[in-house]
Amino acid sequence: MRGSLKNIVSDVGLGVMFLGRILYTAKHSPCKRKDIFEQTWRVTQQGAVTTALAGFFVGAVMTVQFTMQVKGFGALGFLGGISTSATIREIGPLLIAFMLSGKIGAFTSAELGTMRVTEQIDAIKCLGANPIQEIVLPRFIGIVISSFFLLAIGMLMSIVGGLILGVLFSGISPEEYMRHVPTVVSWPSISLGLFKSFVFSLLIASVCTFKGYTAFGGAKGVGRAVINTAVGTMVGIVIADWLTSVVSEAVGVIIFY
Amino acid sequence: MVAATGRFLIHSYNTSLGFWFLLYQTINKIFTRPFRVKEIIKQLHFVLNESAPIVAFCVCSAAAVTIVESSFHMKIVVKNDSLVPGFAALLILRELGVVVALLLVTSRVGAGIAAEVGTMKVTEQIDAFKMLGMDPVKYIVVPRFIACILGGAVLSLIANLICLYVAMLVSQIKLGYSAGLFLTSIRGFVEMQDLCFSCIKGAVFGGVIPLVSCYFGLRCQAGPEGVGRATTNSVVVSSVAIIGLDFLLSWVFTNFY
Repeated sequence: MRGSLKNIVSDVGLGVMFLGRILYTAKHSPCKRKDIFEQTWRVTQQGAVTTALAGFFVGAVMTVQFTMQVKGFGALGFLGGISTSATIREIGPLLIAFMLSGKIGAFTSAELGTMRVTEQIDAIKCLGANPIQEIVLPRFIGIVISSFFLLAIGMLMSIVGGLILGVLFSGISPEEYMRHVPTVVSWPSISLGLFKSFVFSLLIASVCTFKGYTAFGGAKGVGRAVINTAVGTMVGIVIADWLTSVVSEAVGVIIFY
Repeated sequence: MVAATGRFLIHSYNTSLGFWFLLYQTINKIFTRPFRVKEIIKQLHFVLNESAPIVAFCVCSAAAVTIVESSFHMKIVVKNDSLVPGFAALLILRELGVVVALLLVTSRVGAGIAAEVGTMKVTEQIDAFKMLGMDPVKYIVVPRFIACILGGAVLSLIANLICLYVAMLVSQIKLGYSAGLFLTSIRGFVEMQDLCFSCIKGAVFGGVIPLVSCYFGLRCQAGPEGVGRATTNSVVVSSVAIIGLDFLLSWVFTNFY
């Protein structure tokens, strides 16, 4: 128990140091803009279908659940507003981050791990280039930027899914569903969702690049790195979700009262 | 565009055909001797005991966020938050506990199984099984399938329990409802059915994980990249399948209330 706790703490510390190295590189020797565009396009393209599918079902589930809750009050008119607001503030960024960690995080860490194990990273170092600048930084920035595009896709699909289920399951018209969306969803909610998504994507990007970059021990080591990435990002996302909620509440209290 | 769509459709048709065949084989072979009780218990330890701490930890954060968020939305719509405990308990028992718990299990156990089976396939251990006249489905898939079904059901119970307990704690600290008030107010909302349905959901999601992972692991292509791709695919497909099935089961269970 004590040994594993020590491992976790040292892992987190090394990860933060790696993040510091990436940010230092980003400041002092930035990578080519073309690489960033390439990575952004690749990540967005890979994650788009999965995110759209997950967003659709999340919106649908939220609508089914909220229908049962608000029916008792006769407040079905608020259904669209509440389920959209809940998706934008909380569930959407969380679920999309889960999908992103499973799809992009695992892929990037496997890619970097394979590079490390087959000594391609050492080859880059031998040629006098900085591997963090050449291969880690474009992926890191690409994941962070494309998470916003994926968030937009997921949100739109979740609203569509909620709308369809609102019509089919709860039997209200689309106009009625959409009417309270602007009154319930406010700018602070949207910015909270964006902030959360930003924090999650930062977390996914740093964990997967760190785990992939420090993989060792052949093919098995790559497999271990992928599994560690999946577990680490999932746990990190849930904790970051709680922390951002607390922080945003504190900030909100300062701003609005 | 048309060609790409057609290729995608044919590919997904083939994949789903193979998947249903694996499911059929697995269910057929559950009831044939020998029952590998020792192996099942070993897998159960991996699924249940080693996942329980992570699940418990993450579900705590999820419960805290749920209470804070539902209080926010309730204040917008009905102007007070006296019904927050009931609704939060409803959401936890119907959706949150089981989905968060099993998504975490997917990333841990699913990736683990896919990597293990994929490595077996790549190093030709599966072929060795076949040479010795042992059926790989019977010896690899069936024990994991049974262990994950049992483990998913029990983990959903554990997650619900911890989630409700933390929700009680947070609503006492943040909203000022005492434990007794919380428990009495959820009694009007939650029934025994909810717990049973959540358990069923856990078992179904648990059954999906090893089937998907073993499917991708058994069809893993040679080389370390093949294993990495199998792991990534299995995590993504089982997460999407869990979210889709959650929607489907929620819809089915609404008919029983």
